[in-house]
Amino acid sequence: MTSSRRHRTRLGAVALAAGALVLSACSSGGGGGSDDGPERTTDKNRASNYSLGTAADSTGPAAPVPGAKKGGTINVLQRDAFDHLDPAQIYYSDALTVQLLYNRSLTTYKVGANGRVTVVGDLATDTGKSSDGGRTWTYTLKDGLKFEDGSPITSADVRQSVERLYASFANDGPQYIPQWLSGDGQSFRKALPDGPYKGKHLPKSVLDTPDEKTIVFHFKAPHADTPYAVAMPNIGAVPAAPGKDTQQRYDSHPVSSGPYKIGTLKPGKSLTLVRNDQWDPKTDAVRHQYPDRYDISFGVQEPDSSRRLLADRGSDRQGMSFSNAVTLETGPSVLKDASTKSRTFNEIQPYVDYMAINMDRIKDKKVRQALAYAMPNGQILGQFGGARAGQVAGNLLAPSAAGWKDTDPFGKKKFPAGDTDTARKLLKEAGKEGQEIVYAYPNTTEYQNVSVVVTKALRKAGFTVQKKEIDSNNYATEISKVDNTFDIYRASWGADWPVASTVVPPLFDSRVLSDGSQNYWHLRNTAVDRDIDRINKITDVKQASAEWVTLADRILTEDVPAVPIFYNRLWSIWGSGIGGVKYHSVYGSADPSDAYVK
Amino acid sequence: MKSSSQTADPPGGADPIDGAAPAEAGSLAGRSPGQLMWRRFRRDRTGMVSACVVIVFFLLALLAPLISRLYGKDPYTTYGLDRPGLLNEFFYPVKPNGGIDGEFWFGVEPQLGRDVFTQLLYGIRTSLLIATAVTVLCLITGVVVGVTAGYLGGRTDYLLSRFIDLLLAFPAQLSFVAFTPVVYALFVSPEKETPTALRVITLITVMWALGWMGLARLLRGQVLSLREREFIEAAKVTGASPWRIIRKELLPNLWTPILVQSTLMLPTFVTTEAGLSFLGVGIVEPTPDWGRMFATGARHYQNDITYMFFPGIAMVIFVVAFNLLGDSVRDAFDPKTKR
Repeated sequence: MTSSRRHRTRLGAVALAAGALVLSACSSGGGGGSDDGPERTTDKNRASNYSLGTAADSTGPAAPVPGAKKGGTINVLQRDAFDHLDPAQIYYSDALTVQLLYNRSLTTYKVGANGRVTVVGDLATDTGKSSDGGRTWTYTLKDGLKFEDGSPITSADVRQSVERLYASFANDGPQYIPQWLSGDGQSFRKALPDGPYKGKHLPKSVLDTPDEKTIVFHFKAPHADTPYAVAMPNIGAVPAAPGKDTQQRYDSHPVSSGPYKIGTLKPGKSLTLVRNDQWDPKTDAVRHQYPDRYDISFGVQEPDSSRRLLADRGSDRQGMSFSNAVTLETGPSVLKDASTKSRTFNEIQPYVDYMAINMDRIKDKKVRQALAYAMPNGQILGQFGGARAGQVAGNLLAPSAAGWKDTDPFGKKKFPAGDTDTARKLLKEAGKEGQEIVYAYPNTTEYQNVSVVVTKALRKAGFTVQKKEIDSNNYATEISKVDNTFDIYRASWGADWPVASTVVPPLFDSRVLSDGSQNYWHLRNTAVDRDIDRINKITDVKQASAEWVTLADRILTEDVPAVPIFYNRLWSIWGSGIGGVKYHSVYGSADPSDAYVK
Repeated sequence: MKSSSQTADPPGGADPIDGAAPAEAGSLAGRSPGQLMWRRFRRDRTGMVSACVVIVFFLLALLAPLISRLYGKDPYTTYGLDRPGLLNEFFYPVKPNGGIDGEFWFGVEPQLGRDVFTQLLYGIRTSLLIATAVTVLCLITGVVVGVTAGYLGGRTDYLLSRFIDLLLAFPAQLSFVAFTPVVYALFVSPEKETPTALRVITLITVMWALGWMGLARLLRGQVLSLREREFIEAAKVTGASPWRIIRKELLPNLWTPILVQSTLMLPTFVTTEAGLSFLGVGIVEPTPDWGRMFATGARHYQNDITYMFFPGIAMVIFVVAFNLLGDSVRDAFDPKTKR
């Protein structure tokens, strides 16, 4: 449904990881074998762990974190500067995480330490009441909500946050709610071309605010997963009072409704968040306000951040990172140090890596199947650091998708180097031995390595491989061109919330296919389109989820548009001077809501 | 650089030969300057050792296929991935010291699990091939342009010198990074893999295009000063053609700077090529490459420092040996500069 990618792909991570060649230790050898692997712990990211909370769950204050105390500064090390701070524009996991601190949405996710995720009311008193067969959703705002300037948050401010998504500048964030209200694709913008900035508003029959506390959405069709959609940061509160919503300029200083507000922002360098004393903990069921401030610095590469946090010295003792992972360069040292166990987690993320097959060029299904069998998933994953960087994928959906089944039609888990024999047999049956495959990859160290194992496996299976390296800065653009001249290429996608309705339609609906869309494989199957429409109409989330999973499995086995490679994992580490860091399984990042300085 | 300050001697000039000469004066055998140089060089122990080291490197590079056959491994097979037990959960070598054992003499590569010894042999081969080709091309261009500019003088000299200035002003490393993808895009169909040969030729071309100017400038200066010397005047008066003067009178006097320069140039090009691969614009996987081994080593130094040792030490030895060789050659040619 949306044209924006949420997942900040790994490939940017690779740019010259080798800076200083400080030889700090002698070689003690890799050691090996002793794997108390991450699989043994139970995955937190399972759909069975998600549920809708009640009004009681949504009532603040949040339960205090044992041992937490107020004060201190938490230093956050991030690889990239946040693309946006304006909640309307946020779509990447790092920015989605930081906005939890200063922005409140109608609902939000309450993440328990045991991994249970409950959708609860945030600005709203509960997760919403539906009527009219799921077409109408009513939200009531809590009492005592205030912006950072002390003015109360009313339904007009929520309406402002929705209506500004219609303005032409708001094109980077998710667009579920405006699309559901006013039309698919970009057609919704016609309903309110200038947003709320010229005094016009959506008609009451679409978005109604009968009083200061109530907001009513009238969707064109039933949407059972509305409680999830209004948890996206762009359905919150933006001051409707004149002059407060500065449109594009809102990006540098959004008005806070959460426990922290923007202190100073040095674009591309750093961001400071300071306490917002207008935030009332009694209204918030999720957030705390333990540290005095967050100092976020950008441009810290992943090997550096993990080395610093592992070393645990100086201000890094109070350090953490929302999205930087422990990479394979530092992984072994983190494991060796037993004291780090209590300050790390390694959890599966909602992101899936695929090897897309260009169906415009590889028209023979048998060839696509042969590709799927031949792909050496285990070896590819090894180039990113093995089991701690991800988990070999058997099908197109991440384990976090509701109703997910552990299917593996191409035996990806059984054959880490690919099922060469079956692939060769299929290729022979198709009469396409020696079939030429143009394989595009971003020209980075990791993907050069990946290209070695992929090429080897495909050659073994009887393909002829033409490797094309692409400048990593242009890679995403190049592969999402519809008329690209490549046969296979890596692509990645993550669900916006744990229902496959945010995966199957944007990836496999032929009607979204255009330059820059996520239908990387150019799947044009009207039967699939019809099924997508049919399942979108199902109002029972549980039933719909099961149908999405079935559809995704059918697409994989019958159309073979892509080979699922692996499910990403986040291995996070933080300094010993802070506590309360937990995994946010929806955003796939380290959640600071409970964090405190020891 | 010392070599540029040295004065050239006319061929067969009556220079006093260094200390060794009187001892052998008894035989009074006539020796050409080349023979004298060789005798001096042979007595320079540093020079002989470094010459041997350099020759060994070239032999290793030339004989890489043979050595790897005798050794029983090749640089392309991912032993660590194909055979369980060599790489651990992070795909680092299981055994200490980068997985060195009787089978893998220099260990196995982290992540891809290839054999480091053959990788290094073939990597040296790639790098030396490129560096030698660039050096030869630069020598030829440098000599032709430098001698032409110096000998003809006047407008030709002016134009050529400004052209050299122009090229010298190019930031070399940046130009390599910018131009290589353009060249690939020009010559390769978007559906075909860039052939390794084209990559090599491109690398050689870009490094050559921006590498010959130093030598040309040096030779121009030399020729300018030689041109006014009496023996050239004499040759002109006797009616020798310019071609003969350049070949028989000028070039023999230029051999010293040319040889010395080339022994300094070659290791520079080896490191430049390594630098380009390090930056990701050189040779790509799976072609083994010395420079890329550095990049890999730098990435994994925390967990597998051994891997960096082999390409690193090999490179240091090679560059030092080649530079010492250059010094010795210069000393042998011109004993006056001997310290």
